Amino acid sequence: MGKTQGNMLEINNLHVSIQDREILSGVNLQVRAGEVHAIMGPNGSGKSTLAAVLAGRDIFTVTKGTVVYKGVDLLALPPEERARLGLFLGFQYPVEIPGLTSVNFMKAAVNEQRKYKNLPPLSSGEFLKLMRQKMAVVEMDPSFVGRGVNVGFSGGEKKRNEIFQMAMLEPTLAFLDETDSGLDVDALRVVANGVNKLKTKDNAFVVITHYQRLLDYIVPDIVHVLNKGRIIKSGSKELALEVENKGYDHIINAT
Amino acid sequence: MPEVKRVFQCTVPGENIRQVFLVDGVLQESPGTQNGITLSTGPEGRGLKMHITGDHSENPLQIISVRSENLPEPLEFTNTWELAPGAKAQIVVCDHTLKEHLYQTSRYSHITLREGAHLDLLFMQNEHGRSRYWLDLDARLYKDARLDSHILSLYGGTIENKVKAHLQEPGAVCNLDGLYLADGEQEIKYNIEVRHNSKECQSSQLFKGILDNSAKAWFEGLIYVAPGAQSTEAFQANHNLLLTRDAKITTMPQLEIYADDVKCSHGATIGRLDEMGLFYIRSRGVPLEQAHLLQQMAFVHDVLEHVRNHAIRVRLEKMVESRLRGEFSKCAHCTMHCC
Repeated sequence: MGKTQGNMLEINNLHVSIQDREILSGVNLQVRAGEVHAIMGPNGSGKSTLAAVLAGRDIFTVTKGTVVYKGVDLLALPPEERARLGLFLGFQYPVEIPGLTSVNFMKAAVNEQRKYKNLPPLSSGEFLKLMRQKMAVVEMDPSFVGRGVNVGFSGGEKKRNEIFQMAMLEPTLAFLDETDSGLDVDALRVVANGVNKLKTKDNAFVVITHYQRLLDYIVPDIVHVLNKGRIIKSGSKELALEVENKGYDHIINAT
Repeated sequence: MPEVKRVFQCTVPGENIRQVFLVDGVLQESPGTQNGITLSTGPEGRGLKMHITGDHSENPLQIISVRSENLPEPLEFTNTWELAPGAKAQIVVCDHTLKEHLYQTSRYSHITLREGAHLDLLFMQNEHGRSRYWLDLDARLYKDARLDSHILSLYGGTIENKVKAHLQEPGAVCNLDGLYLADGEQEIKYNIEVRHNSKECQSSQLFKGILDNSAKAWFEGLIYVAPGAQSTEAFQANHNLLLTRDAKITTMPQLEIYADDVKCSHGATIGRLDEMGLFYIRSRGVPLEQAHLLQQMAFVHDVLEHVRNHAIRVRLEKMVESRLRGEFSKCAHCTMHCC
């Protein structure tokens, strides 16, 4: 997509409602290539909504504000076009699709992306090679890809599968929605390593999390605290430690 | 009929396939015995009779039944298959129409599976939007016999499938599968009855349908367990996907059990495409239309998975996919695309 000038993502005064209930009340956020952001916040503060709205989930209504991604009005695009522009959402609750194997799912996704870039579809051999390579990134058991997407996966396996999909699609901007929740320490390390291996100066990550623990592995450049639909504080990675030690109330009351 | 053979030149099920043609119900080859298979003409010069001995499980038999313009009137004929003790066979039955007449075809099929016989049977129903097709299948299974039956209703104006399986002696196993895809004004009926007349038999039914536009379907499925048919295991599932508000499915699963030591279950569902699943697929860059297709293919996956012949299964997956893309309904001569 050419060179990135300034901000890759620019969210201005974003207001979002669902069934007349406002969830986001004026979010401002700028993300540049090469950055890792963390968004923290209490339950119900709007973290997942923010990620879902950016990915194009249509149950939400944007009532005010703009989102510009790579110079394009993101909110005008259907979810698949956002993905083809390099946006990725790691789901908090990855969806099970019985009957659709991960191989066929990823083949469809990768080839759509290649079509968009005017590249021919990968041959079966090339595709399997790519799969094997990316499975290694998240230390995933190769038998998983022949099974239904997320079907019968444990919580940890589902999250690992999200990172695997991210590795396959090589997005430029990835939102990871509570990818750490439900993970034991080993799985957390694997998932975090996956992210770190995929990190380059040209892409960016926004990690949504409740716990500082993940941020020991994925070190953020900027930490934001979201409360009642608004980012109330942004700071360096020390802000995450402050949240961990003193709780959200302390920060909410101080602002 | 060199012309019919050319039109339906079939390479799908592999080189070892033997093709038998019926044109307007009339057998196109001379009766006789070949490799343990005795072929003759059915009653009143229509339909066929087949008596099978030996193991033919690796060499599928394909019965290609074609309706031509020479007989636009309603047609009725009976096919009879008998598998001798221990015989094994794989039979693919394909039904086609050569012209867009208002064909009406009633096909009776009588199947007898003697002790230890094993039949894998696949019906491909692929006619056109004005045809009426009726299948009446009656199967009797004796000791340790096994029937695996797959019915694929891909295209047709009105399709009615009536299947009755009688499990007569211990050890008989009967697996009945069906897939029906209907759009426009098509109507499809399935009436399935599995009768456990003996103890220690197993049966399972898996029927799935996808209905689009104003299509209608009915599924009636009965599991009957006779008095004394102990240690019966019988399962039935019917799942339906409705793509529009106008599509309709009526499903009537039924159990009639007169024995007390049995394991039986039935389940029926009617649903729509899963919104969250669609969003998940689209969020990976797959366009909406393709996401719809992937979800529908995922839905029918387990029915197709039961088709053991790999070449036929791969071909079926392609056919179902193009059917779901709506490609068949756009084609005036749909008959040329199949098997």
